[in-house]
Amino acid sequence: MPRSDTQIVGLSRRTWLGVLTIVVVLLVWWLLTSVTGWISAVRFPPPKDVGEAFKQIALQGYGNGKLHQHIFHSFKLVMMGFGVAVAVGVPLGLLMGYSRKAEALINPAFLLLRPIPPLAWIPLAIVWLGLGDAAKVLVIFVAAFVPSVINSYTGVRNIDKPIMEAAQMLGIRGFKFVTDVLVPGAFPMIFTGLRLSLQASWTTLVAAELVGALYGLGSILNQGAQDIYPAMILIAMVFVAICGALSTALLGYAETKAMPWRSERVTA
Amino acid sequence: MSTIEFKQVTRVFKRDGEDFLTIDGFDLTVSDQEFVAIVGPSGCGKTTCMRMVAGLEFPSTGLVSVSNKPVISPGPDRAVVFQQFALFPWKSVFDNIDFGLRAKGLPQEKRYEIITHYIGLMNLQGYESAYPHELSGGMQQRVAIARAYALDPDVLLMDEPFGALDAQTRVVMQEELVKLARRNPRTVLFITHAVEEAVYLADRVVVMTSRPGKIKEILDVKSIREAEGWDSHSKIEDVMDLASFVHLRTRIWKSLREEHGSDDH
Amino acid sequence: MKASAKDMFGTAKLSLIGLMAFLGIWYLVDLSQLVSTKFLPMPHEVLLKLIELFHIPFAGNLLQDHMMASLQRYFWGFGLAVLIGVPLGLLMGWFRWLDDVVTPLFDSVRFIAPVAWVPFAALWFGTGAGGPTLIIFAGAFPPCLINAYRGAKGIEVRYLEAANMLGVGSFKTITEVLLPAAIPSIIAGLRIGAGLGWLSLVGAELIAASSGMGYLIVKGQAAVATEIVMAGMLSIGFVGVLIDVAIRKMESFLLRHRQN
Repeated sequence: MPRSDTQIVGLSRRTWLGVLTIVVVLLVWWLLTSVTGWISAVRFPPPKDVGEAFKQIALQGYGNGKLHQHIFHSFKLVMMGFGVAVAVGVPLGLLMGYSRKAEALINPAFLLLRPIPPLAWIPLAIVWLGLGDAAKVLVIFVAAFVPSVINSYTGVRNIDKPIMEAAQMLGIRGFKFVTDVLVPGAFPMIFTGLRLSLQASWTTLVAAELVGALYGLGSILNQGAQDIYPAMILIAMVFVAICGALSTALLGYAETKAMPWRSERVTA
Repeated sequence: MSTIEFKQVTRVFKRDGEDFLTIDGFDLTVSDQEFVAIVGPSGCGKTTCMRMVAGLEFPSTGLVSVSNKPVISPGPDRAVVFQQFALFPWKSVFDNIDFGLRAKGLPQEKRYEIITHYIGLMNLQGYESAYPHELSGGMQQRVAIARAYALDPDVLLMDEPFGALDAQTRVVMQEELVKLARRNPRTVLFITHAVEEAVYLADRVVVMTSRPGKIKEILDVKSIREAEGWDSHSKIEDVMDLASFVHLRTRIWKSLREEHGSDDH
Repeated sequence: MKASAKDMFGTAKLSLIGLMAFLGIWYLVDLSQLVSTKFLPMPHEVLLKLIELFHIPFAGNLLQDHMMASLQRYFWGFGLAVLIGVPLGLLMGWFRWLDDVVTPLFDSVRFIAPVAWVPFAALWFGTGAGGPTLIIFAGAFPPCLINAYRGAKGIEVRYLEAANMLGVGSFKTITEVLLPAAIPSIIAGLRIGAGLGWLSLVGAELIAASSGMGYLIVKGQAAVATEIVMAGMLSIGFVGVLIDVAIRKMESFLLRHRQN
């Protein structure tokens, strides 16, 4: 068999196999649901139903809004929670990484709260802030905060000692030290933290919306479940995946732009 | 009867869409139980030659064969001692040597017998259960050599086996290898950039040109060694002091020098 | 940097101060009536409630029974993720065609947040045990697969060349060379998968369960019993740590023969 990277009609064998696999899966899906009816439409929606559901939510709206409205609403909440988390978490992590004293002081509180999964904060957030958007932003904040801190911390700790010593020898202190030595040195790990924070933000938001929300992909999932509308559930899942993949890709792109000297591409 | 044949071998290396000729018209025959060393400047392709006999790389044109059978894949009949040892870190010394023997399907008693024999021969007694990271570089290479010999290969291929060792260990290993090679003669292809090592160990020394690598000259060491009685001296420094040794070494040095001069670094 | 005994004592002192400051602020906020204790119970109230939950059931079960229910689902889901993900990842690293076939399928589903599978799981499995197991699996599977794959792909070429040279067949090469070489990466994947699986479990139990730790805290929220919610959160975090510690112990054991 030809190797994966050999070209056949302009595309590699690898791409052809990938496309073929997806086509086969789609075919099987169609066969099992529409054609033979082996899988009932209640269990798994046939392709036609999914197409209908998509048209419905995109054009007419479902569960309090149209698709783009839902996504935009979710996106807004993620940005708020993520933004605050990063603005607080990265400096905190850098501080803890640089100063052992700061680390010793802050660690106990951090260690106590860190193992609690962000999703476990949802009930508490609801008690404190009700079922609205505020509770969601809080939970997103918690989810994004921890990876930001940890990765910024590790980023500082991973800076080669000779570099720190060279900076001290050159008399670089204070604010300049932070902006010109600490932050660039920790950049790769800071970015890893950003990526993990963003992924965690999305995952947590979907969960929070599933528990109770008016808008958002999670709320569509919930509504779809209540209405026993499997096609809509599938649509919501697909868009959750798309949003998740897009945010990862965007951050990966931002990472290569911010650190052109790095050769690794982010794929996960 | 195990011989190695290189017939009009060339090797072209592709990078960034360009072709680089690394080996050009390489012709060599290694006779049965002959110890041949190849020396040459960095990048001349000497390691590639060995890897082609091992079946880890293939010629672009020409033929590489062992006992007149073309080489198509790696195998225990052409055992390799790698420069970086390539011992499996998660296996003990015993298991490392055993691995290839198990692949041959030998029964347990036979395997045990072979392993014990070579552990004794390579002075590894007591280290059977040790793991590679617990051993020094020299000891690890001893294990690698034991592993190769234990396979009872037709041909032994060594790729700068002492290159990663410190100078003193290197000398000790050369002495041991010489004793082993004289006692347990086999067809050997030995790659090195250290001229003394080649002259000390080999029956013939092949000098390669810089890239694209060709054979510059081949020197017969064995006849000089036997005529001058090098093997009567047990210590390597005594041999390296002999006029005949120095003369041969210097001769090869000069030959190599010319190649370095024409190198474009 | 080696910390001297004096440094370490100083650090311990600071940590203690930090801990007390944290608790102190907590108490202050309560005592000053800034926030009602209904929303922010005092630390000791949380602790007492935690102990109480061991004898007095809430939401249908004692704390330890909720925990057992959660852990059972967890081990099923995580176990499956490891048993399928690790070998599959390894084999994908070895057989290029397998990689080509599985990767597009995997890439299409892996970005679906694990909790997003809940409604679908409810449709597919009803109220059976399959539901939460699927969610946990969805969370734990990707890291297990990806890390096994990377471990296999990242193996140093010389090990494969040596195995080839020794005449070792495919099966032995995969089990005795590829797998051991990939173990550090696999374990890293297990740790991440374990954490994500635990997280997903809690999420699933918040929404669609009638027992378990997630169910406990969501019921606590419904009853506005904040001490219960907090006690539950702390227990969840604690068990999460235990799981991580267990995996790290396993890592030390598996890598005991190798230099770091």
